[in-house]
Amino acid sequence: VSKRKILPTRAALTLTPAAVSKIRCLLQDKPEYIGLKVGVRTRGCNGLTYTLDYTKEKDKFDEEVLQDGVRVLIEKKAQLTLLGTEMDFVESKLSSEFIFNNPNIKSTCGCGESFNV
Amino acid sequence: SQQPHLQLCAQSRYALAQQRFNSASSQERPDVSSPSSKEKVYLTEACVKRLGELMEKGEYLRIHVEGGGCSGFQYKFSVDRNRTEDDRVFEQGGVGVIVDQDSLEFVKGATVDFSQELIRATFLVLQNPQADHGCSCGSSFSVKL
Repeated sequence: VSKRKILPTRAALTLTPAAVSKIRCLLQDKPEYIGLKVGVRTRGCNGLTYTLDYTKEKDKFDEEVLQDGVRVLIEKKAQLTLLGTEMDFVESKLSSEFIFNNPNIKSTCGCGESFNV
Repeated sequence: SQQPHLQLCAQSRYALAQQRFNSASSQERPDVSSPSSKEKVYLTEACVKRLGELMEKGEYLRIHVEGGGCSGFQYKFSVDRNRTEDDRVFEQGGVGVIVDQDSLEFVKGATVDFSQELIRATFLVLQNPQADHGCSCGSSFSVKL
């Protein structure tokens, strides 16, 4: 009888070091929140867009990603579309934003905010 | 010093609304607003505040309109120290925005805002009377014909 191998499941979402430090910084003075929640919403010229909010609790169906001490929850609706995505934080003098490098998407809008799975 | 600012903003909104109303209600009606006040770019309080934090002396926010994006045109923001004869400068609250003459044709009467959300913080062009409809992100737009 062969022993069933338990493979470590791949994290649904990975965070870049820049994203980790930014999230840690955001949550530092807000002890009431346990982390950030990523979701998707129907909007934009390519169908979907990402949402990001503070969250106080983990819903039953949320996927939890714990990396380097920061917690990001993924909404149930967003789990399929976000699987394998890398979350990054990019900052320049004029703007700063979280960007999602999503391997599942077929097309994006020019601005990078809207996408299609 | 915040009060006159707010007022200015409200006035610009009112002017914009009235401009839209005028053009919608009757094409024959002569335009009452002077051309100089129409060819202006307005800054919101958030924009002025953020520019005040960001910009060093002699630095301006340059708004440039170029072809591209999903709706045909898009706004580009950059930091610039140099202004040429072709540029118009709009100053407010100690900060300035530069728009070149070609780009001004596409953004005159619009308002520049700084939007701060959790997911992104960036400069935006709002209420552009020249823009027909844009992408949800606000960086791309098509021109009214």
